[in-house]
Amino acid sequence: MTLTKTLSIGDIYDRAKSGPKTDEKDWDFKIIPQTASMLKKKYNIKMDKKQIIPTDPQLMDGLFRAGFELLLTCGVYCIDTKRVIQYTEEEILASLAAAPKEAQFGEIGKHGRLIKCRKHDDKRAPIIQGGPTGAPCSEEHFLAIHQSYAQEPIVDTIVDGVLQTTRGHDPLPLTPWEIAAVRSEAIMVRAAQDRAGRCGMGL
Amino acid sequence: MRPTDAHEVSQLNELKIDVSALTFDAYYVLAGDMIMCEQMPIYGGYAGGLEETTIVDVATTLNSFVMAQATWHLDGPTHVRWGITTARETLAIAAHACMAVESHYDLMMGNQYYTMAGPCTVMCLLETAAQAITDTCSGREVLSGVAASKGVTTNYTTGMEARFMGECAHAVAGMSTDAVNVLLDKLIAMYEKNYKTAPKGKPYQECYDTSTLRPTPEYIGVYDEAVQIMTELGLDYWTKKNKFLVD
Repeated sequence: MTLTKTLSIGDIYDRAKSGPKTDEKDWDFKIIPQTASMLKKKYNIKMDKKQIIPTDPQLMDGLFRAGFELLLTCGVYCIDTKRVIQYTEEEILASLAAAPKEAQFGEIGKHGRLIKCRKHDDKRAPIIQGGPTGAPCSEEHFLAIHQSYAQEPIVDTIVDGVLQTTRGHDPLPLTPWEIAAVRSEAIMVRAAQDRAGRCGMGL
Repeated sequence: MRPTDAHEVSQLNELKIDVSALTFDAYYVLAGDMIMCEQMPIYGGYAGGLEETTIVDVATTLNSFVMAQATWHLDGPTHVRWGITTARETLAIAAHACMAVESHYDLMMGNQYYTMAGPCTVMCLLETAAQAITDTCSGREVLSGVAASKGVTTNYTTGMEARFMGECAHAVAGMSTDAVNVLLDKLIAMYEKNYKTAPKGKPYQECYDTSTLRPTPEYIGVYDEAVQIMTELGLDYWTKKNKFLVD
């Protein structure tokens, strides 16, 4: 038996060009909510919001099967081509089986980290990625704000904020100022890590 | 950027993508970069209620690894009314989705933090604690935050929130689920009725001495107050830490 190969990004793009044509409003207001609602009933899913972390194995199994089936039956909608990218069950399974279980975050050494799969009852703490998480920062304080994260010993990697302006210009999407801002963000986060003595830290 | 830095690709709400995202994902894949694929399902949005949004969350998590060949998925269920990730419902969605995936596959998953209250407030730190505990005890690999004040106000973000996120995560790693659920129910109840009157807090330049890059005495006092609350809720992390320092 030949194993199904995982999908390449080229395969995905080709399907975005050739998949079934669908109206975006139908996708948003009918296909996704109706399928999710149908799967909730099919797998008899009922959550109790006072119990934040589930303990019922049947509930977790039902949620997984419902989510898997939603991806399999609906696929993913491409807003540019107005078409649906569809997968086979074998392709989804092959991709999940091929997903990495660990990865190097930042450089190997003192301030890089190895990210590895963990379980809910794992005594190993997760990776602490500190930073503004996309929140806006002024040019004046951008570097110092990120240094305030990098200097925390418990922080393992940095997630950066967004420059509100770059050299006084609004970094609107799809303009040269957007590129200038993104490049400045990367340079300043790296500088913040270095200034905090965390050279090699992931970003 | 190094190949070992996280290269971001964002899915769109719900289960949608655009061609430009596929295009730069192609570069990341070919370059062998670490890929972080993000999606923040909206509770009360297109999907609907608690269970439906969780089902969508599971689907989009799986899609990160199928479509984008992600190294890890970054979640962030967001409350449609409040625009935060720390609400009871969005915490439950994140935890249920993560545990559902964990019940079948080992995949690397993170979650991002958007609090209602701003820096230098106890409420912001308690919101952060609730999510850090939820994420750690539902098996997530990465905690990514904190965008205080919903991540929309300039400079309302500092390293102190991340310190608390990290310390709470380290405090509860390995704790039993039953004990965690009791703790979370009490903790969330402390702030969830205060969304309409949530304190705005202070910007970075009022939370830190901008010359020394040290937090102000005021913020250290606020931090200690939050630590005291977490200690009274049963976490002995800071008691042990301080005992070690004294010894």
